[in-house]
Amino acid sequence: MALLEVNDLRTHFFTREGTVRAVDGVSFSVEKGKTLGIVGESGCGKSVTALSIMGLIPKPPAKIVSGSVLYEGRDLTTLSERQLEDLRGREIAMIFQDPMTSLNPTLTIGTQITETIRRHYDVSQKQADKKAIELLEKVRIPRASERLGDYPHRFSGGMRQRVMIAIALSCDPKLLIADEPTTALDVTVQASVLDLLEDLRAEYDMSMIIITHDMGVVAEAADDIIVMYAGQVVEQASTLDLFDNPEHPYTEALLGALPQLEGANVREGRLTAIPGRPPDLIDPPKACRFGPRCPHAGSDDCTVHEPQLRELRPGHWVRSSHPASERTGTRRPEGAPV
Amino acid sequence: MSVTDAREEALATEPGSAPASGAPIRQTNLWKDAWRRYVRNRAATLAGVVFVVVLLYCLVAPILSPYDPNKINFTIASQTPTLDHPFGTDKFGRDLFTRTALGGRVSILIGFGATLAILLIGVVYGSISGFVGGRLDNGLMRFLDALYGLPYLPFAIITLQIIGRTDMWTMMIALSIASWFTTARIVRGQVLSLKENDYVRAAKAVGARWYRILGRHLLPNTLGVLIIAIFLELPGVILGEAFLSFIGLGISPPDASWGAMAQEGRTVFRSHPTAIIVPSVAIATLVLCANFVADGLRDALDPRTRET
Amino acid sequence: MLKFIVRRIFWTIPVLLVVIFLTFTMMRQIGGNPFRQSERAVTEATQRNLEAKFHVNDPWYLQYAHYVKGVATFDLGPSLVVRGRDVNDIVATHFPTSIQLGLFAFLFAIVLGVPLGMIAALRHNTWVDYSAMFFSNVFHAVPSFLIATLLIYFVALKAGWFPTSGWTSWEHKVLPSIALGFGPMALFARLVRGTMLETLQQDYVRTAKAKGLRYRRVVGLHVLRNSLIPVVTAAGPLLGFIITGSFVIELIFNIPGIGQQFVDSVFNRDYSVVMGLTVLLSVIVIVANLVVDILYGILDPRTRDVRA
Repeated sequence: MALLEVNDLRTHFFTREGTVRAVDGVSFSVEKGKTLGIVGESGCGKSVTALSIMGLIPKPPAKIVSGSVLYEGRDLTTLSERQLEDLRGREIAMIFQDPMTSLNPTLTIGTQITETIRRHYDVSQKQADKKAIELLEKVRIPRASERLGDYPHRFSGGMRQRVMIAIALSCDPKLLIADEPTTALDVTVQASVLDLLEDLRAEYDMSMIIITHDMGVVAEAADDIIVMYAGQVVEQASTLDLFDNPEHPYTEALLGALPQLEGANVREGRLTAIPGRPPDLIDPPKACRFGPRCPHAGSDDCTVHEPQLRELRPGHWVRSSHPASERTGTRRPEGAPV
Repeated sequence: MSVTDAREEALATEPGSAPASGAPIRQTNLWKDAWRRYVRNRAATLAGVVFVVVLLYCLVAPILSPYDPNKINFTIASQTPTLDHPFGTDKFGRDLFTRTALGGRVSILIGFGATLAILLIGVVYGSISGFVGGRLDNGLMRFLDALYGLPYLPFAIITLQIIGRTDMWTMMIALSIASWFTTARIVRGQVLSLKENDYVRAAKAVGARWYRILGRHLLPNTLGVLIIAIFLELPGVILGEAFLSFIGLGISPPDASWGAMAQEGRTVFRSHPTAIIVPSVAIATLVLCANFVADGLRDALDPRTRET
Repeated sequence: MLKFIVRRIFWTIPVLLVVIFLTFTMMRQIGGNPFRQSERAVTEATQRNLEAKFHVNDPWYLQYAHYVKGVATFDLGPSLVVRGRDVNDIVATHFPTSIQLGLFAFLFAIVLGVPLGMIAALRHNTWVDYSAMFFSNVFHAVPSFLIATLLIYFVALKAGWFPTSGWTSWEHKVLPSIALGFGPMALFARLVRGTMLETLQQDYVRTAKAKGLRYRRVVGLHVLRNSLIPVVTAAGPLLGFIITGSFVIELIFNIPGIGQQFVDSVFNRDYSVVMGLTVLLSVIVIVANLVVDILYGILDPRTRDVRA
């Protein structure tokens, strides 16, 4: 049984301007000890998906209208707030994008770590402090015991993210969700944080979900990848298979937009740009959502019916009427990987 | 990230959205936009309308009224509102409807006068402090800190004593001297934050003189803040004048302000509360409207501070 | 932390000196020879002795220095009009009353205002929120003498629950405190609501929830801590408002506090009392601001590392 199983999740935001269908039928699963990467551009619904899993979506405007989130067999969408509170931090932990604003500036980081520990375990303050120091050392923060009483503003961005990771790991969660963990960091720091995440994942034998818009990050960190667009999953495959044989035109374009500086298959010419913008999620088109921007869309099925997710190869799913392996002699976007 | 079509981008951006903080704002766009946003705020619009109505009332009512506001007539003294006298009469038999309008003229005039004086002093002090910066700024601000230590009413009272007389002008002066500090702070803050902006550096780089920079770049962008400051200071000044008059240190009769009217009404309050309630409600109304207008303006001119 | 406190205390001294100097200068503009009153007809010799004792003929800076020394040793000089009374006596008899009034009003404002603001924020956009804010706005705009008058009229006169004047038993203290505290209460409610709404949107609140912390703790610790900071900063100027507002309240309710004394002294031209009381009030305001600053430093650790 998979650790986490999301089935046809739909999260909608009920606003004055209309109902925003931010997540509209997303399904995936995460196995024990594996890392799933979720990629997509801003606004595609990946963060909302993660927040929906944790039940952290703002309840007044947002609501999970249908679908289920099965964690070890329990459907999280049916749990009460109190039950979810018991789960959060203890079984499933989450770290967020901006470490500057994600930590409370008026509490010491020591407090922010130990309050999590003492919330889920019945230990004394001293024991919690001790654990906190261990955690800080684990995330490679120098002079951990001295820094316990420091406030977040005394740490650099990279170190703050490590503190966030320490907080997330403090109760030995089985699943860690990382929402754009490296986006706000410098490139050099990114690498070290990703390495840290991978080492800790292995050590704690956790499962991980990494959400990002950066293809380079998932290439490095994820075992499997799902590509999201306009609130839906458009492609799902193992990392190797996705990068070697992308099927969905959107995935191809994403990969084609990556600059390559060296290597055997260096592409020359322009980077691919995807013309147009994602559809408005208040009233999404009934047909293929990527259609208007797709170089392969014709005046056929794409403009009438919404393609369903289908298993093209074992383990490789696509939501498209024109996946790469089914095209014959059609125009390729300029500069796309051959 | 994919590169989007330039035309699409232009169409998709919200028309007239506020650009990045501090960038030069095209004047026409800002005001039209702000007006639209302001009008959408129902409370603020209503307040603005009531405000104007009150102003008109104070202006027009005494002219149209058949009563002499100063004529004493004990036979009709201390009446509750009737058709003849919509606000009743005071203890001297004078029509309150007319007197309230007249009182409004005085109170509002003093209010606006003092506010403008506050603005003047505040802008000068604040912009010099912010623009010159460095030690002068430091010193001026420390001095301002000291001034904050002076309690408002006693300060105003002492000022009045120094001047000797208490008429409209001296009241304006006294009130403004006692309360320009906050405006100066705000202006200085604005000037400081704008000073560091790139377009100011650019102006300096092409050799613009300091007065040009101040007048052309810094002050126009402070205009929005100043307008809001007017409606924020106005209530304080009006209330200040009311308090002073109520204590008895205000303007001498017969030219009464609302505060003075309230003070007169205090003596007969037990039997005839109308006399004190009417001017007090008038004050409260004006102050309330000014508050809402200020809030509305603040939201309209700076959408980023919107409450969710 | 200690360094921070010491530094702040250190800086209040020059501020105090400046304030005293300003008051001193202003008073000199009004008064001439303080002993010229005909009520104090004294012999030539006594006059000269008095003048020598009170340094009347010394140059201004020496007079100032003497006065400062007096302030430092808590000697505010004699009353000019009432024979045999020191300003200190007046302070000792009347000041505690005013302090009580101010404190009760402040407590009322906090105890009612803060929870009101919190509830409004937590029940955002419901009728609870709207009505709470509507009433807050109204009460904030209405001058305290109107509130006092209405309270007296309805609660004291008509219903007879509380007495209408004086300050002896605890029943006397209720109405004036409420009247004085209504405005600040409204301010607190608005402020707390505003800052809480803002804080609730912050990322770190989301993090706190993601850690599985109980809602009570998230709100009680994370949200509240950060929300109270602006409230504390507002408390400083609020104290100033309470002090000045107390003048009017003391007048209406016939409470023997320093407000009354101040006004009486102004009318009687008893300038040394006026000056002494002003300095006293200033000291209070400055000390209050100091306390506020220190509290701010405790609540927001970021400010401690910034140079004062």
